[in-house]
Amino acid sequence: MDERYSRQTLFPSIGKDGQEKIRSKHVLMIGAGALGSGNAEILTRAGIGKLTIVDRDYVEASNLQRQQLYTEQDVEKKLPKAAAAASRLRMINSDVDIQAVITDATALKLEELVQGVDLIIDATDNFETRMAINDISQKYKIPWIFGACVGSFGMSLSIVPGKTPCLNCLLKKMPIQGMTCDTGGIIAPTVQMVISHQTAEALKMLVEDWDAVRSSFVSFDLWRNQYTSMKVSKAKDEGCLSCGINRTYPYLDSENMMKSTVLCGRDTVQIRPPMQQDLHLGDLSRQLTSLGYTVKGNPYLISVEMGEQRLVIFKDGRALIHGTKDLAQAKTIYHRLLG
Amino acid sequence: MNNILFFAHLRDAVGRDSVQLDASGKTVAELKQLISDKYEAVNLEHVMTAINEEFASNEEVIHDGDAVAFIPPVSGG
Repeated sequence: MDERYSRQTLFPSIGKDGQEKIRSKHVLMIGAGALGSGNAEILTRAGIGKLTIVDRDYVEASNLQRQQLYTEQDVEKKLPKAAAAASRLRMINSDVDIQAVITDATALKLEELVQGVDLIIDATDNFETRMAINDISQKYKIPWIFGACVGSFGMSLSIVPGKTPCLNCLLKKMPIQGMTCDTGGIIAPTVQMVISHQTAEALKMLVEDWDAVRSSFVSFDLWRNQYTSMKVSKAKDEGCLSCGINRTYPYLDSENMMKSTVLCGRDTVQIRPPMQQDLHLGDLSRQLTSLGYTVKGNPYLISVEMGEQRLVIFKDGRALIHGTKDLAQAKTIYHRLLG
Repeated sequence: MNNILFFAHLRDAVGRDSVQLDASGKTVAELKQLISDKYEAVNLEHVMTAINEEFASNEEVIHDGDAVAFIPPVSGG
């Protein structure tokens, strides 16, 4: 511990005891995009015991403007974000046990991933996953920290089961996807501001300073100079299906989970097979090459050019179809190549 | 009178970050309807509402002088 964390332990609310606690904790990071990169870097530098970082995507050039863990080499190699993040994080702090999980964080997968976890950080880009995290958090009594941003607008909320309202108390139902993602773009300072709110809350929770945890929903617009903090204690709803008396955890029902999703703002459809696969990418790559397709790949995925569309296939059978927002067309392309 | 504040893309849809109107006696749901009728581009269905910086449900009644803020959940990350 010594010198490395001296400035952090000098901070009275952490101290040496707090540092010991930080060191003993396991954080689950859902998403390794902009919020995931920044949150993961700060918590890794802070000296947590273990970080599990989960992401379904790979690094692209358009990520580099704000996703602080990635480099041009990662783009060149089309590395999965979780893998690229993990290798960078290990260089930053070799004391932290970093686990990279390249998968889609479905409700089923989350049940597996949360075992032994002390805190979940939301670094996702969609409400389907957030609502699943929210239910998981209530079911296993693990706090989580919501964070989201678009353009110059960002927001965060700390959710502590049994103490605070949950995200479902506030939103009542799943917000419509894509209402804003296509329009606003994103500037890096917005991301950093959300990360600051999330990681400050994370440190409080990791040192178990529960009284210091923010009990309001914070939102801000860095370009329009608006900042608002909304008290939410009254929002706790005893009838809430996620955290109320007769809870059913509606977002953990995998029957309700979509198998294909239009990725917000990306002209891309994700197809997820009902059962996880274990594809032999080498064989598939050779097979597709012999059919006349241009195929590139690495140990984690292969990328297939198909005229206006490009298909990226992961080892677990999941595929991203770039160049379309049409679910049916995407499924056709998927089935054409993978049966 | 009431000061009604708009955040994120709602501000762009309305064209300004706040408007003054008399909403006293109305519920949050009624105010949302009134605003949606007035500004066609504004959809407040999934939007969170704060009255005087405190979370408010759709059933809550607005009083004279209350500041009402509409905060849309955004999904990026």
